[in-house]
Formats: sequence, structure tokens, C-alpha cells
Amino acid sequence: MNANAAVLPTKEGFEPAVIQWLKEALNRNVFEAVLIPVETPAEDSFAYLLIKDPKFLDLASPLPPIMPVQGGKAIGRLTMRGDLNKRVAAIIRPCEARAAIELTKLKQAHLTNLTLITLDCPGVLPLSDYLDDPAAGAARFREAVEQDNRSPMRPTCQICHRFSLAEAPATDLHIGTLGNDDGAAVIVPGSLEGERILAQMGLTEDGDESGNLPEMLERWSTRAEQLTATQTERRSEAHAQLQEQVAGADRLLDIFGSCINCHNCQRVCPVCYCRQCYFESTALKLPPENYLARAASKGALRFAPDTLLFHLGRASHMALSCVSCGACEDACPMDIPVGQVFSLLADGAQEALGYVAGRSVEDALPLVAYEMDELHDVEQAYVEIYREQEVQDA
Amino acid sequence: MPEAATSSAFATQGLRTNQGAEETVRQLLRSLLQSGQVEAVLALGKTGTDGKGVAYSLFTDPDAFAVDGEAVPLLPYMPANGGGLLSRLTLEGSLPGPVAAVIRPCELQAFIELMKLNQGSLDNVFLISSTCGGVYPLETGLEGHLEEKLPAYWRSIEQGELDEAARPTCRACESFAPEGADITIALLGEEGLDEQCSLYLNTERAAAFAQRLEGTILDAEPDGTVLERSSVERSAFREALFAGVETGLKGLVETFGRCIGCHGCKTVCPICYCQVCHFDSHECEREIAYYEGELQRKGGLRVPPDTVFFQLGRMAHMAISCVGCGMCTDVCPADIPVSTIFSKVAASAQATFDYVPGRALAEEIPLRTFREDEFAQVAT
Repeated sequence: MNANAAVLPTKEGFEPAVIQWLKEALNRNVFEAVLIPVETPAEDSFAYLLIKDPKFLDLASPLPPIMPVQGGKAIGRLTMRGDLNKRVAAIIRPCEARAAIELTKLKQAHLTNLTLITLDCPGVLPLSDYLDDPAAGAARFREAVEQDNRSPMRPTCQICHRFSLAEAPATDLHIGTLGNDDGAAVIVPGSLEGERILAQMGLTEDGDESGNLPEMLERWSTRAEQLTATQTERRSEAHAQLQEQVAGADRLLDIFGSCINCHNCQRVCPVCYCRQCYFESTALKLPPENYLARAASKGALRFAPDTLLFHLGRASHMALSCVSCGACEDACPMDIPVGQVFSLLADGAQEALGYVAGRSVEDALPLVAYEMDELHDVEQAYVEIYREQEVQDA
Repeated sequence: MPEAATSSAFATQGLRTNQGAEETVRQLLRSLLQSGQVEAVLALGKTGTDGKGVAYSLFTDPDAFAVDGEAVPLLPYMPANGGGLLSRLTLEGSLPGPVAAVIRPCELQAFIELMKLNQGSLDNVFLISSTCGGVYPLETGLEGHLEEKLPAYWRSIEQGELDEAARPTCRACESFAPEGADITIALLGEEGLDEQCSLYLNTERAAAFAQRLEGTILDAEPDGTVLERSSVERSAFREALFAGVETGLKGLVETFGRCIGCHGCKTVCPICYCQVCHFDSHECEREIAYYEGELQRKGGLRVPPDTVFFQLGRMAHMAISCVGCGMCTDVCPADIPVSTIFSKVAASAQATFDYVPGRALAEEIPLRTFREDEFAQVAT
């Protein structure tokens, strides 16, 4: 749908341009409210704010240096109980949009009347790095963005390969900043709704005064493609290294050895939507005899027990919908590389089932959709094991 | 009924061993397991093949307490509040046999408080605690930095002081002498802790359990001047710490503005025992109409909503029982001084009711006790 894209006028700089555009959209009643990150009163963090009064947009930051709350989670909280009655635009990063799409498929969010607007994402800083000195963090972030440098960003952002939607915008609108200098941006519709909004806002190809939209689009998609290739390579290298570090129960126990069971990872995970996590339920609260017997059989039982079971169980519950956002790792007080480990598991699981979490609301969740013709490798292996077992039993 | 411990930290019966504090505790626990006097010991231990993690474990193997064993009962670190763990251990029933637990005074207080809230059972729990020199922040335990702190920790403790790198919560703690323990290990202000150790045996079973230890009988409490001085110093630190946080609405909105809503503070809080927190319940999952109403009224609202409401609500639910253990601050990914704020409010709530949480089982939680003659000023 790139053919219907438009140029976002960015004479005043990128962020002010987006804000100006949103203000105008509110004034023209294209949207009735906007969900966007806004700096907190103490100026030391950002929070999603649902805004009706355009004056609040002056405090907004479409691309803040941190992700204190995953935008998919914010959308889930806003729409978990049903459809919006007002037209709302959400300005979010691609991984946040993917989480919102997963939540919608999981029936934990409703996208009706919600316009998803994503931006090319340079990554975000680890929360703790930023909080040490917010002003310095903001400066460090700006500098890194200017230099296309992902090294100060969260580890999962450093290996993110889905930071843009140049290939296939899954959201209503995507704002592309890559490839064009001086904060110039293209705005690309990914749905009929997106096209309608651009038309309503008077942003069509015809309206592009400079007449260089095709060139801008070309530069944007070329750069996004290049970066995607680099990042994909970086991701597989990082995952290959990580794979060695986590292979086997002993290594996993080492990685999660310092876990204190605060379950922050689960709480901030946008796709872990259970009100009561199984691993916090009474199902795992057992009589003391059970704990003592388990301790006696091994000489010691880590207490509270089932730490690794929690992580592996959570992974098995959500890996197919994991969008590798890294919110879990940000919230871990023990610096466990939980986001990296989960992204590794998620990539494997999703690849095995030919699924990309959050790519589209149309893709059915693999465990929900039955397909006759899949996973033959596993099937074969099972048959072989089964036959062998049968022979042995006989 | 469990055997009632005295409410003092120090019984008149004491024992001075001629081994260091760590060796004494290890030997005591090892012998208790070997002789079958206890079925298990809840204590800190190193985890992982590299021994870099620290977690509480339920030990049954006596060798864990050998010199090079994985148990580290006196390590100044609190990966979880042990009081909460003892509640978890006994939540579904009383212990079938004796289990010893080595925990700090605030953990013991939390356990007693949880017993008052019917969250477990004291039966067969044998409590060993110590005069506490504080613990280091969780992050100190990462990358093995805790080991580096240990010489300074032991030096400070012998001098009756707290290492400056200890958690601020600990440096501001006024309840560092355990009340209600079967055995109190005297650490703070005790000299030569690498070659001798004084244990105070507060219950009959403590006296029986310590029989295998060799040492001299002590017939007096430890010199109180060091504990007195520490108390004065910690109170002063506490006052300064409290002065640094705002508990007015504006201050709370600013401070909790960076809360990310993980509710980790609630999860690690030993007192917050609810299976589902009210603020995570269906009740607090807002309808679309709520957002639209707020939007109409205020022009903008934070999503997810109720950030400060959660903090104030949790405070209202647990402040009277808050033992000031500091787990909430330690776990906060947004570096919010949760514990300082909660302790400041808790101190005032507890003073209003003249209540000390977790001091003695017999002292009832004020909100569960009706007194006809209190708060006349509110009634008029």
C-alpha cells in the first residue's frame, strides 16, 4: 500500500511534527483521543496517557527513550472489557503493536475504533540505565539515535529485526524515519482505515509539495531492508551464542539461579494476560510434607520451590505469542537475561509453527488452528520412538 | 499450641562457644540434622553450578552445613523475606516434625504477623535469629560483589555498626534485636566473632537442641550499651531518611509517577498475602465507560490507570503490619524508595494504635480488635 503513502511535513523536527499532526487530527475530529507516551510530572520517566485535550500533547513524546510500560499492555488494559466507543489513535512502537495484535487474537484487547500508528524504532534504553540519570539518559538516547547506534539500548532491542514495518505494515499507519535525513518522514498506510485517515488529513501523494515522495519511500525501504538484514544476522549470532549458554538443565539453573521469584517478568509481559498466573495459584501451594519429601530426596529444596518450573512453564504458555520486546528483562531486579532467553525460545517455537507473533490479526494462533499438514518431523520421531517402545514392551 | 518464646531477645541462659559465629551456627544446624532433632533447616544457600546465586533452601542433608557446604546461614543478604517463606511452608498444614529456620528479626516479625493473620502455623518451627547488622541490596549479589563486602560487614558488625553499603532500610531499622526466637545469636557489637560466639537459649527446646555444642555457660545478657548506641544511630538515620520522602499527595504522585505497574513490591511483601490482590482483581479492571468518563472530566488519563491508587490502597491494607523489611524497595525496577515511604506511613499508623507488628503473638492486630474506649476524638 506504499503507493498511497504520504510525506509527513517535519520542518520543526520529527517529534514536534508528529505531535502537530496529532493535534490537527484531534481538531479535525479524525480521532477523538490519542494514546501516547508522556513525560511524568517528575520528568524522570514516561507513561501512556489517553488524551482528549490537545494541550496535553505538548508534553507527549512519540518516541521516548525508555519503555516503562509496554504499549500493547496499555492497549490491553484500555480495551480488555470491550470495544472503544470513541475513535482513538495509539502511537506505539512496532513490538507494542505486535503485542496488541496478539492480545486481540487472545481476546484480551479490542481493536475496533483503535487506530494503530507505529514508528521506525531505534530501540529503548534499559530502564535502570535511564533512571540513574534521566537527563543524561535522554541525551545518550538522542545521540545513539542520530548515530544509528543500538549498543546503549536494551539487549533485546540490540538484536531486534522487526523494528520497522517497511516490508508489510500490519498497523493502520506506519511512520518511516529511516533513510531520509533531517527527520524527514514518510507516513505509510497499512489498512483502508489508514488510507482514509491520510485522505481526511489532506495527506495524499498529490499533496506532497516537494514531489519527492517516491524517492523518499525508496530511500526508506532500502535503508529499512539493509538494517533488517544486519539486525537479522546480529540476532542469529546472538542467539547462537546464547543457545550454548542455556543448553541443558544445569545451565538454565545457573541463568535463573539468582531469580528471587518476584514474577515481575510475568507481570510486565504484555502477552501474559492471566489475572492469576498458574504458577502463583493454589495448585502449587502444597502441604509441608510435599516440600519436605522433595527436600529429603535431593538433600535440599530451593524455597520457595519451582523457580525454573515457573520460567519454563511461562515460556511454554506464551512463547508463541512472545514479541521479544524485552519488558521482562527491564523489570528483572536481578539482571537475568530473561528477555534474551525468551526471544531465543520464541523464535524457535514460532519458526517451527510458521508463525510470527503479532504480524497480523488474520494469522490464526497456531495452537488454536488445527492443520493436518504440519510438524511431520515431530510426528516421525514420535512414531519411531513409539515403535521402538512397542517392540521393547513386546 | 507451640511453645511460647519469651518476648525478650535474650534469655538468662546463654552459651559461649569457642568457635566463630559462622562455624557455631553451621555446627549447630549440622548436628540438629544429623541427630534427627530437626527434619530440615530453612536457611540461605548458594545456588547454581557456579554458586553465584543465593536463595533460601530447605536443607535436609547435614553436609550442606559443612565448612565448604552450600548453606550460608549468616550471609547478609535477603533474596526473599524468610517470614513469608515460612508461611508458604506451613500454609497448607502444620509441619509434621521440627524444622529450624535461620532468619533475621524482620523476617521473624513478618512470620509472627502472618500467624496472626492465619497464614500458616508456628507448630514445629524452631526459630534461630540474630542481632542484625543489616543486609546488602539485592544488586550487590549480582556478579559476586557480595563476597567483596563480607570483610567490611564483619568488621562493622563487631564494632556494633552498619556498613554504609548496607540497605538504607536496614540502616534505619530500629527492630534489629529479634523477639520470639528460640535462639538469639549475638552478633552486633560482639568482639572476635571469628573465634567465639554467644548464643542465647530462650526456650527449653533451644537449651535441649544446643546441648551438643561445647562452650561456657553465660548467665547474663550481652552488654546493652552497643545495642543502645546502634539504636540511637539508626533512629537518627531513620529520621533523615524519612525526611527525604514526601508522603503528601503531590509528593506521592511525583514519586510513584515512574511506577511501571509490575506490583513486584506487593509480590515480595511478606505481609501482602492475598492470593489475588484486590488491585489485580476483576474489580479493578476498568470498563470502557470508566476511561471515557475520566477523559471527559480531565481531558487526559494515564493508562494503565490507578497507579497511585494501588500504592495507597496497598498501604491502607498492610501498613499496620508492615515490618519494614525493605524487600519492596529492593525489588523495584523503577528505583522507587517504596519501603521508606511505606515505613514512614507505617510508623505513624502503628504509633496511633500503639502497636508493634510481629513482636508477640498475643498482641492482636489493632484493626481486628474492637476497643470501645479508643478514638473518642474521631467519634465526636
